Amino acid sequence: MMLGALLLAVALAAAPQAHETPSPAAPVAVETAPASSPSAADAESHAATPPAAEAHAPADEGHGGAAEILMHHVTDEAAYRPFGLPFIFPGKHLFFLIFVMGLVIVAARVSIAGYKNGAPTGIGSAVETLVVFVRDEIAMKNIGHDGAKFTPLLLSFFFFILFAALFGLVPFTGTSTGNLSVTLALASISFVAQQYAGISKYGVAGHFKNLVPHGLPAPLLLVMIPIEILGMFTKPFALMIRLFANMLAGHMMITALLMLVPLSAQISQTLGIIMIPISLGMALFIMCLEVLVAFIQAYVFTLFSAIFIGMYAHPSH
Amino acid sequence: MDNPTGLAYLAAGIGSGLAIIGGGLGIGKLAASAMEGIARQPNASGEIRGAMIVAAGLIEGATLFALVIMILLVIK
Repeated sequence: MMLGALLLAVALAAAPQAHETPSPAAPVAVETAPASSPSAADAESHAATPPAAEAHAPADEGHGGAAEILMHHVTDEAAYRPFGLPFIFPGKHLFFLIFVMGLVIVAARVSIAGYKNGAPTGIGSAVETLVVFVRDEIAMKNIGHDGAKFTPLLLSFFFFILFAALFGLVPFTGTSTGNLSVTLALASISFVAQQYAGISKYGVAGHFKNLVPHGLPAPLLLVMIPIEILGMFTKPFALMIRLFANMLAGHMMITALLMLVPLSAQISQTLGIIMIPISLGMALFIMCLEVLVAFIQAYVFTLFSAIFIGMYAHPSH
Repeated sequence: MDNPTGLAYLAAGIGSGLAIIGGGLGIGKLAASAMEGIARQPNASGEIRGAMIVAAGLIEGATLFALVIMILLVIK
């Protein structure tokens, strides 16, 4: 662990030279580092750096400063090698999106196959608890008697978001829901379901008439209709941003806390070693919080989808 | 201005702090009222908790809108 932290410190210390392309002196400074007269800036950046030859290797791989490592951890990669396997997949988040989708389908099939004489066995018992919770506490409570029709959709939302968030906590993987495009797709499905709930019940004209309460005075309609149409799109937009930001923020926090070690090792090696238990402790705490957040976000996304579907299925009169 | 990127970082830092103050105050007030409600009426704790999570989610959503703008400021 300590060795890893020190190697990261080496990579960070080497970073300023690798990324200061506008100043031509910087690459030269690396070459001449072992020489007898280093400049003031050079001495500072080499404080935690053993020989310059070692500093070259990580810098050549394209790792930048702290901010760049942070962003690299959470952003998508166009050409991704899953788990170091010898093939390239077009996109890190795409790979884990498909992977988690498969995982959810397999888990569902395994739990269904585990039923013996109408009673669940093994993993099915745990899944059944969640399924009954989503059906009774989320779907039926917020959508009413139409809830059964939307329960499969809400269950898909719940288990996909839960699995994606939990799987993203495994080292060397990525969280597909930490990508704005993925949450956009989820929110779009939710939007279509909301509109379908209203249109299938009242027809297109009836659905749009239901947006505003009946019997409003005409001047108020001028304000209410644009607000309601805007609200139609704001609801899934809020779902999209909420899930994305929650998934992104947790991973950024963990990376930033782990980054404290190399950053303080840049100041002095002793400080870096002192920082290791502090940094690991705080990162572990956020990691445990992330497990909780995975469940809460899966619940909240499903709950809000159900509330909005119920809102269009049973408009206020 | 010599370095507009630095100003963007400064704006993101100050802005996220302000957004968190608002969100923290909102959720804190909400949780305080919910606790009080549960203490007065322990039978209704389940319903109060459900309503609290919905309201907390809405406040959190508004805060996150601001924070996403800060992230966009930094990575731009």
